[in-house]
Parts: sequence; structure tokens; C-alpha cells
Amino acid sequence: MTFMSGHGGSMFARRFHAEGENYICFHVLISRKQFFFGGREKIGMGQVLINGMYSGVQYSLIALGLTLIFSLMNVMNFAHGQLYVLGGFVTYYVYGVLGLPFPAALLGAAATLAVVGVLFDVLLFRRVLARSARDESTMLLACGSALLLDSLFIIFFGEKQRGVPPVVGGVLRIGEGIFLPYGRVLIVVLSVVLIVAFILFMAHTRWGRGLRAMAQDRDAARLMGVNVARYSMLGWMIASVLAGLAGAMLVSVSGVNSGIGTWISIKAFIMVMIGGAGAIPGAIIGGLVLGMLESLGAQYMSGSQYLAIFVALIVFLAIRPRGLLGRQ
Amino acid sequence: MAIMEVFNLTKRFGGLAAVNNVSFEVREGEILSVIGPNGAGKSTLFKLISSFLPATSGKIVFQGENITSQKPHTVARKGVIRTFQETTIFRDMTVLDNVVVAHHLHSRASLAGFFFGTRIAREDEAAFRRSAEEIIDFLGIGPMKRELAKNLPHGYLRALGIAMGMAADPKILLLDEPFAGMNAEETDTALGMVRGIRGRGITVLLVEHDMPAVMKISDRIVVLNFGEKIAEGKPAEIQENEAVIEAYLGREDEELGI
Amino acid sequence: MTRNRKMMIAVAAVLFYVVGVPWLCAGRNYYLGVVTTASVLAVICAGVWLIFYIGRINIGQGAFALAGGYAAAIAVSKWGLSFWIAMPFAGLASMAIGILIGLPLLRLKGVYFSMITLSLTETARLAAQSLKSITNGPNGILNIPLPRDLSIFGITVIPDFATVDKHLALFYLGAVLLVVTYAALYRIVNSRLGWLFRSLQQNEDLASSFGVNVPMLRVIAFAICTFLAGVGGAFFVAMQQSIYPATFAVQDSTYFMLYCFIGGLSFVFGPLIGTFILYMGFEVLQGFKEYQPLLYALLMIGVMLWLPNGLLSLRPPKFLSAKMPSRPASGGDV
Repeated sequence: MTFMSGHGGSMFARRFHAEGENYICFHVLISRKQFFFGGREKIGMGQVLINGMYSGVQYSLIALGLTLIFSLMNVMNFAHGQLYVLGGFVTYYVYGVLGLPFPAALLGAAATLAVVGVLFDVLLFRRVLARSARDESTMLLACGSALLLDSLFIIFFGEKQRGVPPVVGGVLRIGEGIFLPYGRVLIVVLSVVLIVAFILFMAHTRWGRGLRAMAQDRDAARLMGVNVARYSMLGWMIASVLAGLAGAMLVSVSGVNSGIGTWISIKAFIMVMIGGAGAIPGAIIGGLVLGMLESLGAQYMSGSQYLAIFVALIVFLAIRPRGLLGRQ
Repeated sequence: MAIMEVFNLTKRFGGLAAVNNVSFEVREGEILSVIGPNGAGKSTLFKLISSFLPATSGKIVFQGENITSQKPHTVARKGVIRTFQETTIFRDMTVLDNVVVAHHLHSRASLAGFFFGTRIAREDEAAFRRSAEEIIDFLGIGPMKRELAKNLPHGYLRALGIAMGMAADPKILLLDEPFAGMNAEETDTALGMVRGIRGRGITVLLVEHDMPAVMKISDRIVVLNFGEKIAEGKPAEIQENEAVIEAYLGREDEELGI
Repeated sequence: MTRNRKMMIAVAAVLFYVVGVPWLCAGRNYYLGVVTTASVLAVICAGVWLIFYIGRINIGQGAFALAGGYAAAIAVSKWGLSFWIAMPFAGLASMAIGILIGLPLLRLKGVYFSMITLSLTETARLAAQSLKSITNGPNGILNIPLPRDLSIFGITVIPDFATVDKHLALFYLGAVLLVVTYAALYRIVNSRLGWLFRSLQQNEDLASSFGVNVPMLRVIAFAICTFLAGVGGAFFVAMQQSIYPATFAVQDSTYFMLYCFIGGLSFVFGPLIGTFILYMGFEVLQGFKEYQPLLYALLMIGVMLWLPNGLLSLRPPKFLSAKMPSRPASGGDV
């Protein structure tokens, strides 16, 4: 609890309080520091849009996993952001502390998250889903899992902001006032490759078709001979790996700390609500839109951009309840 | 005299028209049945009329007032009440209490009135209870009134659904397949029930599969096929109708029953 | 159980609470403070429970408590209003936000509503941080005066908290809020309003088929819920005499759900019992404080896996049961 009678705030209150400052500027500002020489006001529109694209592409990666689980299992995984954080910590240890090559860190993060995804399915969600079809059971379970991972992170990784050395150095300069650090470019390229690979996987492989059939209609898929249990596991695995890889890559740009999981989840929810829950193109569009909004917001209404985004989201949902591309 | 008129009602899902340009009228005090082979659009039509689905185009007029695209609770307030096949609201409550709750529309007291337990609210509760007892007896499920809803046998559950519809004091009662899954004996009881409802001056519109039952009870019948109205008339006329026979014969899997 | 027995148990419980607890805690202000905090958490929690009761999940109660807290803090320290006006004002302010958000969003599928409410907690914190001119930013609003005296027609109804034992005064304020909230909640659940709320949880289509205005009822429930959060937030301001953007965080919103769940979602007094057991339990086990989130998380997951109906479902004492009585709360029964 963050409050107590007359004894001042509790531990938690203080931790979050201190963290608050770097929290708000998590993506946009920290990443900006690297290519930003001079007053904030001097960033040109071109740079703002590029920054938006950066974040947007990586956000899409996060939202894809969340929307995949939702479409397969009708579960909104409130612990999705924590999976991202876990990916970040794995990279921090493998690449930052042990000094192994970056690709090894990515592989390590993917492997860890694949295991965690399977555990989520087998130990938790499968059991609760089998017994109760109500949204609230799985939602509470997901909240509990998020809290569990959060507290484990604090215990094992501490509260410090962790970063790793850049994967590649150097800055690419395009025209007047647009800077592209190579490290950032690398991550964007990797993210795009992952997104395209995911789309191709879903569209053209047998497993992908099985997953899509299951997302359309679980019972029909079962009748058609899809092994629903195995595909659920596959779905959890893919979703967790996507979130983990996003975290693993972004740690080289913006670092990671134990407290950001929920914030990442919330961003993922906003993307999914913009794009429409359960729609894969919706997740990508939602990610890009949020990335752009953040970047523009940081430029023009620094500090209260999230309040503005949130209000806009409410208005948007009142008009388009199912987002841009949501399933009817 | 028409109590409800339906003009060119259409509902499209994507490109597919589930109900296409259907028009008919329901006359005051009659029992009108909508029938048709599987997938003919009966249940879509049912949801459109009860406002549980918005129509793509067309018009529904009830007692001279256009009620198209209004909210379900608004049309219920006007006296258009639908039933569900097998639904109770409180499985852990008695039959009687379920019907008492369904008296919602009769409240004179406000919600705050119920909170503070004002005199009017207490009178309302007592009146609902009396009325619920009466409806339950009328439908012949009086002996079951103290049973928990979840323990009710199949046939009684259907009757409870109808009782909850009656509690809302309908001018027109829309029954969703009231005879589905019943044996001959149960169907006879249910037929008596529906006739009794009409006997209380309530117009009945029912959507049904069971042909013999429909032929026995209906004043008039509307036949749908592939979302379109293919015939309308008295049971005897429908039995002779070429298009109807065609529609049913065209589908071997359908029980004919004519 | 007869009405009289119920009444007697209720009176005994309240008496123990308002007389016994201060007596037991005499000279131990820390414990009195713990009970006071638990009381008000239980008030905020009652709102979360009511939303569960209509079949939705509100993971943003912290945001509404925070909004109420700031409303009260601003009213008292910037506008110089009396706390006794600021507290209801805080409830109404929080309720207004709740209605604005609830009107469009309670119509959506439940999961959207939950996502929005969760996002709201974080948004509220960020807003409190960035709207420096109103909220004083990350520094929070400090040195908020204690509630002053309340006089009606020259008669002092409530004394100035600064002139009496502050801890005891706050305890009684919390006790009054708690008793009033749960009495009202009990009344709601056992009146027709409660039946209608429950009908939403069971089957919204059936409810609207007999004329229940489902969207409106949902908003009413949410308005009550957010009002309680606002009042609770205002109380914390009186208690702590300060408020920060992090006074209520996402974790608190999640804990509120846990409290409800532990107590049981079908019992009116579930959130009350859940809050007291969990919150006070952890205050007693001071050594485990560091692992509180971990233990809460394990508890939450464990409950979902093995005890989906909450602790009270193990053997619900009848007098705690909010289940619809077989004779409804009509006429003589109430």
C-alpha cells in the first residue's frame, strides 16, 4: 500500500515516486538524447516523424503478441508488458554483463520467453479457461501474473534502470537536421523483419493456418482436426517471444527497469484499442499510430501528451467502439 | 386492425441478406406464426422485430409509431416483449422471484424509492408478488413456484420464460420457438398456454419450426425462405401453397409435417 | 435468520468497532491508524465490488481515488474550503469523471472497459505529474490542514481535528464512512436496485427484454463506485495531510480487486472482510512487508486456480450472505 497513517509513504510509494521522472519520458526522450544536439525545440518535423516511426514499429511488435493471444483465447494478457521486461533483462545479462554477442542475447531472450509463454499456458491460463468462460477469471489471473512478475523482477533484478552498450555505433545524417543512429536503424530493421516473418508465418504455413482457424472459431477448428491445446501453447509461445524480443532489442536504446512492465502493457492496450482487438493489421496500425502520437505529443505538448492521448482514445472509442479494424 | 406493421425489412450481414425486403402486418388479437426452413431468416427477423438487432433498412411500426432501431428496453416499454427459449435470470432464485423481477416496467417508485423503502416501493413489491403468483398459476406452473429455477425441467423452463414475458405486460408477445424440442404431450400443454395468452387480449407472434403445432394454433402464417417472404395466409392456404411445398421439398433434411 | 437477529449482529459488530477497537488500541496510535486505513480502503473497495456485481471489472479505482484526493486537496488548501465540503465535492468530482468515461465505454465489451480503467490509473498519475499548475507536479500538495470544526446553526457537530486526539478523530471519521457505505451497499443489494444490478451480471439481453435500461443502470453503478473512490481519496488526504501522484498507483487498483476476490464477489461484506484480512494481516507481519507484492500475487493466482469464489465461499455464514433471500426484500422484511 502506498499510504499509511502519519508514517509517511511506504516503500512502494517512494520507489514509484522517484522513478516517476524518467518514467514519463521513457521512450521518446531517452531515445532522443542520442541524436539530439541542442534545445528540444530545435527538432525538425522530419525528425519528429522519424522518431514516431521508430517507436511505432517496435510498438507494433508488442501489440502483435497481445492481439494474437486475445484472438486465440479471448484472454487479455495484462502481463504482456512484463514479458517485454523479461526479454530486456535477459539481454542485459547476456549481452551487457556476460559480454556475449547481441544475436546470442536475442536468442537467449527468445528461448526464455518461449518457455515462459508455455508455462503461462500450461500452469495458469489453460486451467482457469477450462473451468470458467467468464472474462473476469482470466483477467484477474493475468493481473496476478503481472504482479507476480513485477515483484520477482524487483527481487531478482533490483530497481535500477539497466542499459547496455550500443550494438553498433555511429549516426546516419539525412539532409538538414534528421539523425538516424545506426543502433536504432538496426532495431527498426530487425523489427520489420520479425513483423513480416510473423505475417508470412500466419499466412503461409500449416501452423499459421491452424492458428488462424482457431482464432476464427475455436470449436470449428477443433472439429477440423486442429489440436487446440497444442496450438494454444504455440500461440502463447509466439506472443511471449514477440514481446520478449521487443524488450531485448529496445534495451539497447532505452534500457529497462523493473517497474515499466505495466506501462508497456498499457501502451499495448492503447494500440490494440486503436487498431481493434483481435485484428493483426490493427495491431500494426495501432502501434504506428501510438508511436506517431507520442512523438508529436512530446514535441508539442510535452508532459501532458499521455493525458491528451488518453482523452482522444476515449472519444475515439465512443465513435468507433471496435477500433479501426476490430472484429465485429 | 393492424397492431404492428413491417415494411420492407432488410438485414444484411456483410454482403449476405439474412432478411430481404420482408413486409407483413400483425393484426390485433391474432396468433401469427413465422415459419420457414432452416436458415430462412426466422430468427434474424425475430431479433429485428424485438429490436435486438438493428435493421439495415425498412420500417417497423407499432400502434402507429415507428419503432425501428430503438433500444430493446424502449420497445419493451411500449409493449413489445420477446421471450427467450431457455433463459432465467437468477438460476439460484425461485421461479416466483424470477417473475417478480420481470415486473420491472410496472414500478411506480423510482430506484431511489426502492433504496429507501418508501411506501410506494413497498406497495409495488407486494403488487408484483400478487401479479407474479397469478401469472404463474395461469400458465400452470403454480406447483413449481418455490423451486429454484435451475432445478426446473425443460418444459417448465420454457413456461418460466413466457411467464417473465407476461410479467412485463405485453401488448404483443414475441415467442421464440415455443414448441422446440417438446414431445406431443408437452406441445399440447404449450398450445393451450399460447391460446390462453391470446385469450387475455395479448397479440402473439411466434417463430417456430414445429409445423403441426403451427398449423393447429395460428390464425395466419408468414413463410420465409432464403430471407424472403414467399407466402402469407391462413393455415389451410399455406398447406396448399405451391411455393411453400417447393421450399420445404427442396430441402430433403427438413421434416415436412404438412 | 430473522431480521432481529441480523440487526443484533450488525449492532454488536458496529459497537465493537467504534468502542472496542479504540479501547484496544488506546495509546497505540500506529495500530489505530492501521485500522483507520483499512476502513477507508474497504470503502474504496466497495465500489470495485459493485462493478464486479454488475459483471464488469474496474481496474482503475486508484485513478478515481487519486482524482478525489486531488479534488479535496485543492479545495482545502487552494480554495480554503472546509474539509466537510471538500469531501463530498471530491466524491462528486470523481463521479463526474466516472460518468464521462462510463457513458461511452460501459457499452463496450467488458474487456475494453477493463483495459481503459487500467490505463486510466497510469494516465491519472501522469496527469498529476504534468499538470503542475493545478497539482503542483511530482512534489505533490503538502501541509494540507486537518479537518476543521463543523458547526450547524452555531452548534459544533464535529470538533476541529487539531484540537482533539487526531488519531481517534480520524478513526471515527473512517468508521462513520465505513458503516454508512456498507449499510447503503447492503440496502442497494437487497432492494430492487440490487436485483436489477444482478440481472445485468446474469443476462443483459433478458433484462432489457422486460424493459430494464441496461446501459443506464451500468452507469449508475459506476457512478456509485467512483463516488466512493473519490470520498475515500479525500479521506486519505485528511489522514496524510498530503497527496502525491503516486499516492494511488496501478498496484493499488489491482489490490482492490484482490481484496474483493478474497472476500468473495457474491457477498456484500466480502470486500470489507477481504480488505481487513489482507491489509491488517500484512501490517501485523511487518517482516514480510518487502514481499507483500509477491505474496499478494501468489495469493491472487492461487485464488483464481483453487478458490474462484473467495474465502467466504468456504462456508458462508448466513448473515454475511448477499444472496437474494428467497423472500425478497419487500415490505416487512426490511
